[in-house]
Amino acid sequence: MTQKLLDITGIGKDRLHLAWVSSAEAQRFVDVVTQTTATVKGLGKFDPQEFASALSAAEMTLGGEALRWLVGKEVKLTTSGDVYGRKWDTERYESVLDAMLEREYYKNLIYQAVKEGCTSVRDICTRVGLELKKVSYLLADLEKTNQIEFKCMEDRKPVFAAL
Amino acid sequence: MADFEPKIVAFLCNWCAYAGADLAGVSRLQYPSNIRPIRVMCSGRVDPLFIVKAFKEGCDGVLVAG
Repeated sequence: MTQKLLDITGIGKDRLHLAWVSSAEAQRFVDVVTQTTATVKGLGKFDPQEFASALSAAEMTLGGEALRWLVGKEVKLTTSGDVYGRKWDTERYESVLDAMLEREYYKNLIYQAVKEGCTSVRDICTRVGLELKKVSYLLADLEKTNQIEFKCMEDRKPVFAAL
Repeated sequence: MADFEPKIVAFLCNWCAYAGADLAGVSRLQYPSNIRPIRVMCSGRVDPLFIVKAFKEGCDGVLVAG
């Protein structure tokens, strides 16, 4: 999931490696480390400044309640079923998780953009790189959860502020 | 950049990968010195937030091994 999120942020999942090495497999450990180093070397230097708002948004997303709930419910949903007794198959669960991951991430990215001073919808669009309609929807969502408020109109454009 | 040496934060499980790394050291196997190991009691302890934090602090890659 974190790898998927890194892909959405543009950092790329290749910077995060996961491997299972047992205590008896020294050679395997060496292989894993060598391979990881080679891949990351190929990707070049990572500049946290460039991805500052993306990283903050990712942090909010991964620390957020919604995703943690869903991840915590995985086994229950796929083995014993939801509150209606419907059992979810893994693909369905994954797709819901992916959709939520993306949505939460973009919401938090918009939040970061507003915090950094992009106050009109068009500003946010160019900053975040999403279409107008999507940004408006997500802004409405952020308003509902009291993260963003509608401040005033400035020459016929709505101005938003982060709370 | 030919001589670029990445910084890789490695979260190693105390019982598996950390012991594996130890064994690699004892058996004098050569491996790149780019990793900065962090020993955790279980790889399940690694929160995705740790990974984001690592990137925020400016590392180039993260390895989680259990």
